[in-house]
Amino acid sequence: MAIIAKGCKELLSEVIEKGLCSLCGACTGSCPYLTYYNGRIALLDNCSRTDEAQCYEYCPRTFTDMNAISEKIFGKPYMEYEIGAVKQIIMARATDSTIIEKAQYGGAVTALLSLAISEGSLDGAILTGTSDDKTPIPFLAQSVADVLQCTGSNYMACPVLGSYNQLPNDSHSKLAIVAMPCQVSSIAKMKLEPPDNRVNVDNIKMVIGLFCTWALSPDRFHRFLKENIDLAKVRKFDIPPPPANRFDVYNAKGVTSFPLEQIRKFTMPACAYCIDMTSEFADISVGSVEGIDGWNTVIVRTDAGADLIDKAKKKGKLQIEKLPESNLQHLKEAALLKKRRALSEIVKRSGSRDNLLYLGLSVELAKKLLS
Amino acid sequence: MASIDIKAPGTSQLFIGNEAIARGALEAGIGFAAAYPGTPSSEILGSLAQVAKNVGIYAEWSINEIVAMEAAAGASYAGIRALAAMKQNGINVVSDFLSNLVMTGTGKAGLVLVSCDDPSAISSSNEQDTRPVAKWLDIPLVEPGDFQEAKDMTKWLFDLAEELGTVCMLRSVTRIAHARGNVKIGELPKKQFKARFEQIHDLKSVMPTTYIPMPSPFRHFLLHMKLDKARDKFESSSFNRYVGPDKADLLIVTSGSCWLYSQDAVDALNLRDKVGILKLGTLWPLPEKFIAQYLNKSDKVLFVEEIDPFIERSIMELAGNFPPDIKRPIFCGKRSGHLNAFGELNPDMVIKAVSSILGLAYQSRDSEYHKKAEALIKSNVPDRTMTFCAGCPHRATFWSIKNALKLDGREGFVTGDIGCYSMALGPAGFFQVRTMHCMGGGAGVANGLGKLGQFGFDQPIIAVVGDSTFYHATIPALINGIYNRSNFILVILDNGATAMTGFQPHPGTGMTAMGEPTQIVSMEALCRALGARVEVCDPFDLKSTTSTLLNIMAEDGGAKVAIMRRKCELVRAKQNKAPYKVHVDSNKCIGEACGCDRLCTRIFLCPGLVWDKTTGKSKIDEVICSGCGVCVDICPQGAIVREAA
Repeated sequence: MAIIAKGCKELLSEVIEKGLCSLCGACTGSCPYLTYYNGRIALLDNCSRTDEAQCYEYCPRTFTDMNAISEKIFGKPYMEYEIGAVKQIIMARATDSTIIEKAQYGGAVTALLSLAISEGSLDGAILTGTSDDKTPIPFLAQSVADVLQCTGSNYMACPVLGSYNQLPNDSHSKLAIVAMPCQVSSIAKMKLEPPDNRVNVDNIKMVIGLFCTWALSPDRFHRFLKENIDLAKVRKFDIPPPPANRFDVYNAKGVTSFPLEQIRKFTMPACAYCIDMTSEFADISVGSVEGIDGWNTVIVRTDAGADLIDKAKKKGKLQIEKLPESNLQHLKEAALLKKRRALSEIVKRSGSRDNLLYLGLSVELAKKLLS
Repeated sequence: MASIDIKAPGTSQLFIGNEAIARGALEAGIGFAAAYPGTPSSEILGSLAQVAKNVGIYAEWSINEIVAMEAAAGASYAGIRALAAMKQNGINVVSDFLSNLVMTGTGKAGLVLVSCDDPSAISSSNEQDTRPVAKWLDIPLVEPGDFQEAKDMTKWLFDLAEELGTVCMLRSVTRIAHARGNVKIGELPKKQFKARFEQIHDLKSVMPTTYIPMPSPFRHFLLHMKLDKARDKFESSSFNRYVGPDKADLLIVTSGSCWLYSQDAVDALNLRDKVGILKLGTLWPLPEKFIAQYLNKSDKVLFVEEIDPFIERSIMELAGNFPPDIKRPIFCGKRSGHLNAFGELNPDMVIKAVSSILGLAYQSRDSEYHKKAEALIKSNVPDRTMTFCAGCPHRATFWSIKNALKLDGREGFVTGDIGCYSMALGPAGFFQVRTMHCMGGGAGVANGLGKLGQFGFDQPIIAVVGDSTFYHATIPALINGIYNRSNFILVILDNGATAMTGFQPHPGTGMTAMGEPTQIVSMEALCRALGARVEVCDPFDLKSTTSTLLNIMAEDGGAKVAIMRRKCELVRAKQNKAPYKVHVDSNKCIGEACGCDRLCTRIFLCPGLVWDKTTGKSKIDEVICSGCGVCVDICPQGAIVREAA
């Protein structure tokens, strides 16, 4: 890890004001100064610290040593250039009909969390909930019923990590977290250099990362939705796989569709600089399966992840199939495309191929990806 | 110390200047007194209200100064001697009425206006000199030079006002108003008041009694005649006097507390036989003949007066009319740069001026004196900036305002007003206040800012105003904001008292100056009746207050109102015990570490919290902590604990 002598002022000037903030929430909840409100991080007062500022350190958009993190989590340097470290890649879906009914795709995440909580290997999970007006809110689930309340996605960024930071320092709850790639990256940074004056990061026993191409602004996009639909009646949001090119909003009566082009302008500008589509530092990464409705692509990355998947399989909570080769290829292509696009945006902004802003990649890998 | 209605004629009593003025008014036989509180004037009405029932007069804290003056004029019209008192700012509030009152004249009973100025603005937003007001209003003006004069002049001024039929003004300053000295008291009149507005109904022979300013040129002419009469009387007034040699090296012309400084300076320089002091008590119109005979006493004249060169310029005007054969002295003062035309004076400044004019080597005090004095005092003074009291609701309110404005993110700001909460322009209120002028000015300025949307202005505006100030001067600005749909939030800091000036009642408190319960004029009912959205918050509930402010801020449209209701801590502490016992759990306090950076003692700055350098933890100063418990909710580590006391 680089020696950092920077604090919230630098976080503000280098990340937040530069449009690089993805609203992961890592800088919120742990101190009284940085707070999330309505789609942005506000600095309430100036913190005078410069030598130990964890807000700056754990931000996924400040210097991130990919090799060091990879060594810490996978025991090997970061040399992957598509979908990260893989133990096993499968196609899965929940067997429980109540989960399937509510799930975004195959309900794998809900099934895994429900299993772990009900059998006691986890006490809870930090998830994204939805408020009555369909804004995403960090939510600490402490029961299977809580988990079921958080199914589905609304594609908007949510500062979930603030919820981890707010846990009492002396808490011993064993937790899972369901996170976007930027959030997974922040947790990875915490695992590498455990934070002070926060709950032990090892309490997070399971990191389930979601696939992500980009997230929508919880402020601007939410305003757009509010102007166009009755949010109170919404049951589900969906972006069906290509070539649909739609954003669908389901309510009791049917579907309202918006062309994806109309939605794209509400993406977080920060997402353009993210190279990670598949949450590469997670224990398990989960996404949809292109062309096969009702299933999840599941990437198992660590031993902890593999154990949970095995347990789910044994207990019949997950139905597991091989991911078709063509889907795997597609996934890799898409992931690589995101990496290349992001790198070219990063270089465009920094003005030099030798300056990758926050990204600490090995020279060879950077060269390979930029070629 | 004796009450101002003590019956012991001929004895000396220790009174502050304001009590001496009030005693003078009692000896003059006033029946009616009205004022709006304002330092340094407040104790005049305060002391009168205390004895009002006992001596059978009426005293009120009026909603503002102009109403106080108008009410006093009403009493004069019905034959009751009346007094209105205010600080210098109030004179501006009253001036519109006064400029008509001088035309209409007063009633049969004398009417006196007392203005207490505050040189150096020790307890004020500005140090305006009100003496020039007498000049442009054409009213007689006097200024006492000590406590005895404060009492005697006030009494005498009622006779003069009554004789002339015009309002007369007494100007005092902080050092007279608030200092204490011996006053030899006189008799209190045994008076049976009979108030009646006498009307002449015989329209065939004479017009009915009216008090109207028309025809203005004629009335103006009459007013000048009254002034001429006043000047004649002032020529022989014992409040003007000369002490000094027959032929002096220097003549000091002075008045008020500067008379005392001048005497000290002359004594210190041992120049009694070389420097004469002409002390003036009647400042407008100036006793021209009286002054002219002393101007010849020296070739050099030094004017010693605070703030404006009022006497200096007026006497230079007189000198302009001297016959050509009379030699004009050299005039020194503010114009020549010997004294400042701002701030209070002191004997040292006068010594400097006199020494410079007379070419004396002035021995200034030890150049290290200031440092030594500071070092000596410092050990006994807590290391903190000017701030709100421990437990003050304003601190909590500004905490929520700050956070709401930051969370909103549009760089909103606060237009401020006059009260304890003016301190919010500094660390006490987290530097939130950006503008501050007169009472009601904050809401007025907000009216303009809130209408700039068409020019791209999108910053939220919060106008803060105290409860007393709200009634005093803010209601028209609020109505304007509602009617003209100006987009701002009026935050009323309702602490149930005119706290800064000494907890005087106002229309929201349900108590009169004389201690009678009365009907409360509900500010929320009033604002709602005006058509504003009104939210009432408990400022100690930081979370809900912040969220309410954010919610109102997100709403467009005309002026909206948020009332922050919490009793002034100083009032509460007199009435009941502290609600909580608060302590810091030192195991949980992380001090300066990342995750806190001592928010409580670095930003929140309640004097009840202190930073213990040796342990690197915060702790409660149990003597100062009022047990409000608000800091518990700002501590990010949950290290501050409150328990029911």
